[in-house]
Amino acid sequence: MNKNNMVAMILAGGRGSRLFDLTKKEAKPAVHFGGKYRIIDFTLSNCANSNISTVGVLLQYESVLLSSYVANSSAWGLDMKGGGVYALSPREKDESNLSVYKGTADAITQNIDFLDNAEAEYVLILSGDHIYKMNYEKMLEAHIKANAEATIAVMEVPKKEASRFGIMNCDENDRIIEFEEKPKEPKSNLASMGVYIFTYKTLKRFLKEDEKNHESNHDFGKDIIPAFLNNGLNLLAYRFKGYWKDVGTVDSLWEANMDLLDNNSQLDLFDPGWKIYTDDILAGPQLIGSKAKIDNAYITQGCVVNGEIKHSVLFTNCVVDEGAKVVDSVIMNDAKIGKNVRLNRCIVVEGVKVPDGANFGNKNSKDILLVTKKLVSEVE
Amino acid sequence: MVKALGIINIEPYYVKVEGVEEHRPISASSILGRYRVIDFILSNMTNSGIYNIDVQVKNRPRSTVQHIHGTNYNINTKKGNIRILYGEKPVVNEIYNTDIMALSSNMEFFEESSAPYVVMAPSHFIYVQDFRKMLEHHIKSGDDITVLYQNVSNANESFLMCDTLEINKNKRVVKMDKNRGKHKHEKISLETYIMSKDVFKRLVDSAKVVSSLYYFSDILADSLKTMKIGTYCHNGFAACLSTLKAYYKASMDIKRERELHKMINDDWPIYTATNDTCPTLYVQGSKINNSIVGNGCIIEGSVSNCVIGRNVVIKKGAVVKDCVIMPDSLINKNVKMEKCVVDRLAIITHIKELKGTNEEPLYIGRGDRI
Repeated sequence: MNKNNMVAMILAGGRGSRLFDLTKKEAKPAVHFGGKYRIIDFTLSNCANSNISTVGVLLQYESVLLSSYVANSSAWGLDMKGGGVYALSPREKDESNLSVYKGTADAITQNIDFLDNAEAEYVLILSGDHIYKMNYEKMLEAHIKANAEATIAVMEVPKKEASRFGIMNCDENDRIIEFEEKPKEPKSNLASMGVYIFTYKTLKRFLKEDEKNHESNHDFGKDIIPAFLNNGLNLLAYRFKGYWKDVGTVDSLWEANMDLLDNNSQLDLFDPGWKIYTDDILAGPQLIGSKAKIDNAYITQGCVVNGEIKHSVLFTNCVVDEGAKVVDSVIMNDAKIGKNVRLNRCIVVEGVKVPDGANFGNKNSKDILLVTKKLVSEVE
Repeated sequence: MVKALGIINIEPYYVKVEGVEEHRPISASSILGRYRVIDFILSNMTNSGIYNIDVQVKNRPRSTVQHIHGTNYNINTKKGNIRILYGEKPVVNEIYNTDIMALSSNMEFFEESSAPYVVMAPSHFIYVQDFRKMLEHHIKSGDDITVLYQNVSNANESFLMCDTLEINKNKRVVKMDKNRGKHKHEKISLETYIMSKDVFKRLVDSAKVVSSLYYFSDILADSLKTMKIGTYCHNGFAACLSTLKAYYKASMDIKRERELHKMINDDWPIYTATNDTCPTLYVQGSKINNSIVGNGCIIEGSVSNCVIGRNVVIKKGAVVKDCVIMPDSLINKNVKMEKCVVDRLAIITHIKELKGTNEEPLYIGRGDRI
């Protein structure tokens, strides 16, 4: 396999506070998804499949679980000599005191020594909380071919949603002329996916300057990209087509799981050419009991189903007892759904035991109900 | 860590699993959707704290070599090792291809180990056993050898040609015979032995002298008078996968929820190699009940009372009943099948009906197109 001299840096310190109980004890990239995965598996697998050998994961919020998780680099095949997955939490240094990562750019600035050691020529900046499959090697080719200093992956979004994103305005060669962060009146519909390739030498210079600027937010979108543009550097927009989702809310997490139930979904996890890898799971095969009734479901190892499942996703080791009816819901790892339970438009949090006969969610509700331990104990 | 060397034996002459064995030994065959048969015995050993294991392979070793990596079975790979030993000497005739021949040609490797005890287990049985308890019993009893056995109540139709044991009140073996299916109730040897390294070496050496056709169990039968051969009773599920019928029956028996969870649980995990397959998708309009299913399947048709392996696709209108489907197979539209064993990578299309029986499940070969 070719080794390219691009080092990936995955921003994984986000709290994801709009996911409430799901991110109470673990960072957003560690949240379970799609039956057997954690969200960060997607970026890590993309890196491995793109022949990237060195990956830094920038951690801050609730990092214990995530740092041990990513350290098991062999799970994604990222364990070649000279490479690996490095968990990078803020640290005290010889020349500076311990300080939190003040922004996305500051997280990289504080790890310039890491990038120097890895002899990076290009740096790929990623978010650990997006669900998509992308070949970063092809993006690097485009970056080199265009002689760009920075390349930003963009995708077309519906005009009415464009004001939620960082929007690129480009010339006919996809050179970025203007960048607007969440504009009220967007001039284009090319949204930044938060995937950047920088020529490291240039990035390092800008990061060092940004570090001295006390007015700065130390953020890629707000500070670094505008600084590149103001200095007239060559910035390329790299168009991406396909499935991409930022699962920032309970509703969007639910939606992304539901997308897996569509056999023609753009997010194809069956493709043997671009597998998504995850930590090896020891659970046995899934068992569908004699009284089970299954109509459109996505079910994984260790599940025991004796109830009725309709248009739902079941994560590792969850149990659905006789007479239960689960509709349009996501049941996370090790959850147990008791006898005759009714669930509709819910996400049942990891490990929650829903008692026999309980009833949660409503098919007409706009929002998705998060079924937590606390909620269950209130009805008991 | 337990002070014992694990040895996994080759299968004896009576193992003849129609079709399946043409491609790999039964030990390397797929079972229960996501395992290989040998995963059970290997996990028994590593869960018991046996970290040095030698797996003997008779022929067609590719599948076993590909599957087994020490890192998958939860051992400290610096202090322990799972090693595959292939018979080093050429075999003139298959009848000389005995376990004694394999054991003696690899004796120098067994002698490398400093462990004072040997736990030798077969590769064609499936059961769950804590060898720590059996070893403890062996040491306490002061016997030369301890044999694991099972009280079987349907010996007239299962465990055929396995060793039967007659045991006296001191729990020692007084007579050994072959199970020819004459009686329902028998004490069946699970061909699993614990002994000291010295006894092990002595038995292998003397078997070689007596006959070139001898198996380990033959020399054991010869030694009933000269050695103290004790027993240890196994409780719970055990099966000998010596025929296609036995393989099929064991798959169906373990499939029952109670049995499955007794054999595979958090306290006694069964390790295997990961394939990085995604979960299984049950498409709208599909039907399934009473089955175990591996990951990565796409189920569009109707499935009942089956064991479905990893990455199997069952197309719309197909009706699959009482079948064992090994990984990566494709059952196409409107195919009807009942009591079949479908080997890996088979593609089944354009056929009205495939039907076997409990006695003779219909075997469909690896990679076959029908």
